[in-house]
Amino acid sequence: MYSRLVSSSRTAVIGLTAVMALSTTAFAGPIDDRQAAMKNVGKAMGALAAIAKKEAPFDAGVVNSNATALADNVKAAKDHFPEGSATGDKETWAKAEIWQNKADFDAKADKAVEAAMAMAAVTAEADFGAALGALGNACKACHTDYRRPKQ
Amino acid sequence: MKRILAAGIIAGGIAAAVGWIVAAPDPLPASALGAHAANVENGKRLYTAAGCLSCHLPAKDDTEADVSLPSGGRALKTPAGVFYPPNITPDATGIGGWTGIQFVNAVKGGISPQNTHYLPAFPYTSYARMTNSDVLDIKAYMDTLKPVQASNRQPDLPLGLPAETVMRRGLGIWKIAAGFGPVEFARDASRDEVWNRGAYLVRGPGHCGECHTPRNWAMALDASRWLAGGPHPEGAGKVPSLRNLKARKRFKDAKDLATALEFGETLGYDKMSSGGMAAVQTNMSKLPAEDRLAIATYLMSLE
Repeated sequence: MYSRLVSSSRTAVIGLTAVMALSTTAFAGPIDDRQAAMKNVGKAMGALAAIAKKEAPFDAGVVNSNATALADNVKAAKDHFPEGSATGDKETWAKAEIWQNKADFDAKADKAVEAAMAMAAVTAEADFGAALGALGNACKACHTDYRRPKQ
Repeated sequence: MKRILAAGIIAGGIAAAVGWIVAAPDPLPASALGAHAANVENGKRLYTAAGCLSCHLPAKDDTEADVSLPSGGRALKTPAGVFYPPNITPDATGIGGWTGIQFVNAVKGGISPQNTHYLPAFPYTSYARMTNSDVLDIKAYMDTLKPVQASNRQPDLPLGLPAETVMRRGLGIWKIAAGFGPVEFARDASRDEVWNRGAYLVRGPGHCGECHTPRNWAMALDASRWLAGGPHPEGAGKVPSLRNLKARKRFKDAKDLATALEFGETLGYDKMSSGGMAAVQTNMSKLPAEDRLAIATYLMSLE
């Protein structure tokens, strides 16, 4: 009886945990989803910038993994700007202009993905600076038009 | 009763007349300028630091215009209305043919050659801190630009206020209320040359305070909260504070901030593009390294 109670409550806990996990991913809402993805973009960019600033050594493996993560996360973030998500239950820095110029916004995001993939292919330190410049300018182009400062 | 009314009307009339006179533009005479040997290279440097082109861009829908020239017309949204910065290329429809004193009065006093007040969306309130010599150098550089013929557009003021009257006198009242007077930058003898150069660039041509300093009831910058951040002039979000940058771990040191100003997002400084900062950062990237370091040195010293 006791062990059955324990096991059933354990099942309940596992079930509850599963529901909670599901709710933080699938039901989190587009603002959370894109902000989580952009946070990863920031992390990856930080690792690449550290190499440019000579705070970390050039390592093609590190460049590849961070550039790939950056590309994947920009792609993921791009999918979380559905119509109607200019406002939500938390602050978003997305400007209304995104949905007024969605094609341009998407093109700018794609350009960042392309630049990140080009960066992922860099194996020689000599090519790193130019690739980072292109990537940074792609970030800047989109943020200039479509991200407003924090509240 | 009639007598009181009459006295009231006379008093009101006198007040209006005094106001009309007091609010009149008061430009400097040509004799205020000494001899000047123009330095075009220095002019270009300050034109860049002042970000002239960033506001005087051609209108967005004017796809044929050369965006490297300040022919004006792009909408500038502010809480006080929508402005269309004018053509400042050396064409007859721009600043072609202006004298040195006309240019100095415009940039430092906010007074047009037609003797009207400019709207303070044109940051003469900051440019007033520049030396006459630097302002004349900017003119010398601008005179080398390709002239563009472009007509100017009146601002859209709130409540349908008539732009003509506002510019002839109304802004004179504002200048008095805001305590505006063309006072040049005074160096701080207790600080070194680098700090003073940075302070000059930030307070004068760079006009950083116009967005990074909150405004008081009169829409004048609140000096007690210099560069402490405030609401964004376009309405959404905040302009960050530039004080305590080190203590708040925004930048490690002046070198770090100078790097951020030079490279922006290219080196992962991801806050350097939003809210209009991208254009500022692009301008900063074109300055000599010593100017960026001077700006950073001054800003990092603010507590």
